[in-house]
Amino acid sequence: MIVFISGGCKNGKSTLAEDLAVKLAGDGPRYYVATMVPHDEEDRARIEKHRSSRRGKGFETLECAEDVSACAKGRSGGTFLLDSVTALVSNMMFKEDGTVDEKCSVKASSELLGLARGSANSVFVSDFIYADAEGYGDLTESYRRQLALTDRALAGAADLVIEVCCGMNIIHKGGMPL
Amino acid sequence: MDLIIGGAFQGKLEYAKEHFGIAESGVFRCERTAVIDPEARCIYGLEDYVYGCIKEGVEPSLDFAPDAVLVGREVFSGVVPMDAEVRRFREEYGRYLQKLASRCTTVTRMFCGLPQRIK
Repeated sequence: MIVFISGGCKNGKSTLAEDLAVKLAGDGPRYYVATMVPHDEEDRARIEKHRSSRRGKGFETLECAEDVSACAKGRSGGTFLLDSVTALVSNMMFKEDGTVDEKCSVKASSELLGLARGSANSVFVSDFIYADAEGYGDLTESYRRQLALTDRALAGAADLVIEVCCGMNIIHKGGMPL
Repeated sequence: MDLIIGGAFQGKLEYAKEHFGIAESGVFRCERTAVIDPEARCIYGLEDYVYGCIKEGVEPSLDFAPDAVLVGREVFSGVVPMDAEVRRFREEYGRYLQKLASRCTTVTRMFCGLPQRIK
């Protein structure tokens, strides 16, 4: 099963994603695909919060800043939780060497869908950053577009699409697993 | 009249064209002016039209063709804008969409490419 979760920040997306991944995995192996590259203390504190929330849920953590297919290799029967698409697309677009890939959604979508189709279950977490009135600079708009296109590819292929809002689930497609 | 709303890049226009069978030639794309084609089959970018109306001091129209498909971006979930003009736009556009939605047969909200009928 492919699950896509989005919504505002600090609304409960990651917790829901972890619970769903645990449920879907059953006795099978479960992998947490960590996408954030920490740049400062604040990032490290965030990562620690997510780590402690996952503790005891039986995830093996795979660090994956960019190369999704490498982390999927040899783990085809597993359940993958990737948190977050937001960070992954940012890593893929704004390269370490300073270059910018403004078409990265094509690669991001195909690699993420490859991961989804090659695994027993996959749960993707993204962020809904598309509904404010203030305009952004061209580069930020370009990033929002790349993320949105990736989101739409995942939501289109997903069996279950959930928008999380203050801990509540709005189901846009499919139904919750029993 | 039918209204399609949603955040930026959510697939609003693609859905309008596909669901209502509208060709690109039937789409009027708003710019930040009060100019609009009230006869167009699809009006895209209501947010720009309303912004233009505010700048020109004109009341934005609520009267379109009976089969018009109206497409507007949601801009209501960010921090209160610093810029007074953008603040005013956000408020007036929000009220405008409420009035427009009440006159429409259907209202559909796009989320990551997926339509959700909310009226």
